[in-house]
Amino acid sequence: MKKNGLGTVMEILLIVAISASVGIAWNRTLLTSAWRGEVARPAEAAAPAANAVTEPMPLGLMQVKELVDAKQAVLLDARSRTSFAEGHLQGAFNLPLEEAAKNPSRPLKVQVPAEASIITYCNGFSCHDSMELAKILVKAGYPNVYVYEGGFPEWRDAGYPVAKGGA
Amino acid sequence: MSQLKHYLPALVRITLGAVFIYAALLKIADPVAFAGSVAAYRILPYFGSYLTAAALPFVELCCGILLVLGYRVRSGALIIGVLNLVFIVALASAIVRGLDIDCGCFKQGGEKTTPWTALARDVLFLAMTWFVLKVEARRDRGSETGAGPAAPAG
Repeated sequence: MKKNGLGTVMEILLIVAISASVGIAWNRTLLTSAWRGEVARPAEAAAPAANAVTEPMPLGLMQVKELVDAKQAVLLDARSRTSFAEGHLQGAFNLPLEEAAKNPSRPLKVQVPAEASIITYCNGFSCHDSMELAKILVKAGYPNVYVYEGGFPEWRDAGYPVAKGGA
Repeated sequence: MSQLKHYLPALVRITLGAVFIYAALLKIADPVAFAGSVAAYRILPYFGSYLTAAALPFVELCCGILLVLGYRVRSGALIIGVLNLVFIVALASAIVRGLDIDCGCFKQGGEKTTPWTALARDVLFLAMTWFVLKVEARRDRGSETGAGPAAPAG
């Protein structure tokens, strides 16, 4: 080792310099366009893959109320048409889980603005349809999907606005 | 047993080199995807990811070839060792920051390898590198004392 420590260091530098230069020369077209900012940011390219495995985030009552009041959220009721007609969060759209599951690539018929959050809910903590629906939406490519786990019962008991009928 | 002892140093060296050549070729084939993998670690800035994606696979390839050929083994193994340390630090930082990413070590955009698996694999490669370096050092000592070439590990 000590015999030619400096020699090894020089050799290492040389190997790295040469192979890195070859690599840069090999990819010069890509690097030039990346330098000019013409290539998609790699972080963005990686983002859908990261989202695909992300679980929908749960939200609490207050957070949902704030988003609804600020008109930044689209509410989706994952329950059946009948349950929806009997009572739902004011302003919510009905998307029963079974219907969404039939058409998982395009589950939503309503237009959702790109920045808006989607909040799914059903019949409270014991009901998992809202989580299943949210997962379908995440898979379909919607970026901001949340689950309101308290659901209709918590909302109603808190005295927040509910509506009847419609679908 | 003695046969194994005789061939083990060369076997480890060539295996390690082949692994790095294989990894390098997969990345060279798809530099954009590899840049995405590098960016997913959120360590390097935008252009840094591309520069790494352009240069790193070729360094891996070169060192892998040196190890397989048995030429300038010490330099090649030292670079591979340092690279492995860098990979381990990057993977550990990804784990600490809770990033759920593909390690991007081999095939890009294929089946996902979790940081923990990749970390374990890199530790194994590091051990192999250390072994190769140790054999090299012994070989050097052997030739200095005139004990003839490449006395196998014993």
